[in-house]
Amino acid sequence: MKNKVLLLMLVFVLSLTALTACAGNKNTSPANNENKQTEAPKQTGKDSDTSNNKGDVTLRYAVWDSNQAKGLRVMADEFEAANPGIKINIEVIGWSDYWTMLEAGATGGSLPDVFWMHSNEIYRYASNGMLMNLNDQIGSSSKVDLSKFPQGIVQIYNFEDKQYGVPKDFDTIGLWYNKTLFDAAKLSYPDETWTWDDLYNAAKALTKDGVYGMLAPLHNQEGYYNFVYQNGGTIITDDKKSGYDDPKTIEALEYYVKFVRDGLSPEVYADSERAEALQNGVVAMGLFGSWNLAGFTANEFLAKNFDVAVLPKQAKQASIYNGLAHSIAHNTEHPEEAWKFVEYLGSKEGQDKQAQLGVAISAYEGAADLWVSSNTTFNVKAFVDMVKYGVIRPYSNTTIVWEDKAYEALKSAFGGKESVEAAAKKAAAAMNQSLEAE
Amino acid sequence: MNNIISTRKKVSKSKLNMWLWGWFMVAPTMIGLIFLNIIPIFQTIYLSLFKSGDFGRGNIFVGFDNYIRMFGDAQVWHAVANTLLYTLLVVPFSVVFSIIIAVLLNGKIKGKSFFRTIYFIPMMAAPAAVTMVWRWLYNPQFGLINYVLNRLGLDSVKWTTDPQVALIAISIIGIWSIVGYNMVLLLASLKEIPRDYYEASEIDGASKMQQFFVVTLPLLTPTLFFVSVTTIIQSMQVFDVIYMMIDVANPAYENTVSLVYLFYNNSFKYMDKGYGSSIVVLLLVIIMIITYIQLKAEKKWVNYM
Repeated sequence: MKNKVLLLMLVFVLSLTALTACAGNKNTSPANNENKQTEAPKQTGKDSDTSNNKGDVTLRYAVWDSNQAKGLRVMADEFEAANPGIKINIEVIGWSDYWTMLEAGATGGSLPDVFWMHSNEIYRYASNGMLMNLNDQIGSSSKVDLSKFPQGIVQIYNFEDKQYGVPKDFDTIGLWYNKTLFDAAKLSYPDETWTWDDLYNAAKALTKDGVYGMLAPLHNQEGYYNFVYQNGGTIITDDKKSGYDDPKTIEALEYYVKFVRDGLSPEVYADSERAEALQNGVVAMGLFGSWNLAGFTANEFLAKNFDVAVLPKQAKQASIYNGLAHSIAHNTEHPEEAWKFVEYLGSKEGQDKQAQLGVAISAYEGAADLWVSSNTTFNVKAFVDMVKYGVIRPYSNTTIVWEDKAYEALKSAFGGKESVEAAAKKAAAAMNQSLEAE
Repeated sequence: MNNIISTRKKVSKSKLNMWLWGWFMVAPTMIGLIFLNIIPIFQTIYLSLFKSGDFGRGNIFVGFDNYIRMFGDAQVWHAVANTLLYTLLVVPFSVVFSIIIAVLLNGKIKGKSFFRTIYFIPMMAAPAAVTMVWRWLYNPQFGLINYVLNRLGLDSVKWTTDPQVALIAISIIGIWSIVGYNMVLLLASLKEIPRDYYEASEIDGASKMQQFFVVTLPLLTPTLFFVSVTTIIQSMQVFDVIYMMIDVANPAYENTVSLVYLFYNNSFKYMDKGYGSSIVVLLLVIIMIITYIQLKAEKKWVNYM
């Protein structure tokens, strides 16, 4: 009797595991199965004709910005219509998880076919052969012409004379300001003639009734980097040394920290609190990148009260700019289809479409003007105007490490516990240590 | 000779059966433990002796270099101190609170099951979601807590950015989320205490307070032991709340970063998996020492009925 019960249980458990195993297989790797099935005919048909495998290639396309996903879908649909036989599957994963996912995918050999690349990470992926070298494809393509893109962005994705990405878009940082508060204080709006003094004086005049005139958070790209380059300083020198101990850099940091120390800006450290401060009307001005546009346009308060202008100048005009690129996995099973898609995304046609849809500022020459007309809420032309004096976001092989080290060193200056100079020197020392280890 | 073989056969048949079934029954847990816990532990120790290359390739053996670097790294020692301090804050408070709540809920009050559910909810909610709500509560400008403080005529507190306060703020979340779970365990244990003891002590003239200290508490010690061991281990591994609340740029980072958070940053943000592994090995050693001490001390204070 006892044995029978046990036997029954055993059968039950075993069948259960068998069942779940089946289900698991079906659930976890539909893409893989599909890929494998399609691989065979593709391989055989490769020599004669590549387009005979209709309706069976699905490309995984990974991106991190959900704001852009909708527009990208429209583009993918168009691509699919023009290229029967290729399906695009857009996978959206938030910024920080994106890199964890990509890292795991690269280690385990299951990278998405096409994905966004960033200046922070390109070195690791390129130097380890995780990306497809696109030199031949670009060379023989009639649609992709790298000379039509800003050379700074093209260069980011070039490693040892091999091109590992086709530029997608660029972004610059603008000065967002509260029109309503400016009107109330009878101040003129910021424009390209503004200097640091104008910014400081305006911030001072606007600081009242619980509102801070300026938002100067401990943030590099949407913060002090811009001022450092406006002052002729640098974050990283050409020979890969820290620029934090450059007197010009320190001077810019002192100017920037002064907003906080003089009570003209709240002390903000957390990334999420920056946009919150703007959206809650706590600050009258703040530096934010062009990629926030979709979110800001959707926010009623910002759309009603805010506008954007170019950054002020000191020794010169400057705005940090950066650009993304499309890369292809080194081991993609559909190299030709993947390139077709990347080619479309990097062609004039694709870039114009991206701009018209307002997805992002297309990097292609002239396409940016189309992007400007896609948004009528704000004066977004300012973002495009700043490209001519834009400075590429400082990067090296271990950008993420030394960016964090710099934050750790600088926060004492923000809190007023240490002089800016001492904190900057510490940041330089920590950064140099990390640069040496590269 | 023959004799021996036959007895062996006899024994082995029934024993083999038992043995087989025994292993079969524990197999799922054992396989899980081996593949998900034990093998990774040794892999981590192995990895801590390497300078890790990108994407799991090109690891360079460096011996104890990661450990030497770790001992000279002030941030690691801050993390050790923070982790221990967090544990020291969370364990006593959460255990005391859960005893009090369990005893109260064990008595005759209205809406018992309602309260039990309420106290258990934090355990069911996802830590990330819970932290989002707490972040709003702690917000220096719009947070509910500061709003109440201001209404009472007190100054606002920078809950998440003041180095002196941030760890306490995080501990409060930790205590709040664990109390419900511990309470349920203690409640189950309270139900097991026979009524006779209370009746006997009542006849002897013990007050409710005396009953609690003389009857309830000693008989609760086996569960208390379990609760404190698990809570300590859980607190030593604190990560998600701090990760969600404190950025590297936060001024309180140095005063709140826990060992697991530091491990995460080094392994997955700075991609230095070797160094990250050595940090986690340090945590493992610390937890092992504490657990060993607890197991030794168990005999001193735990009463089994």
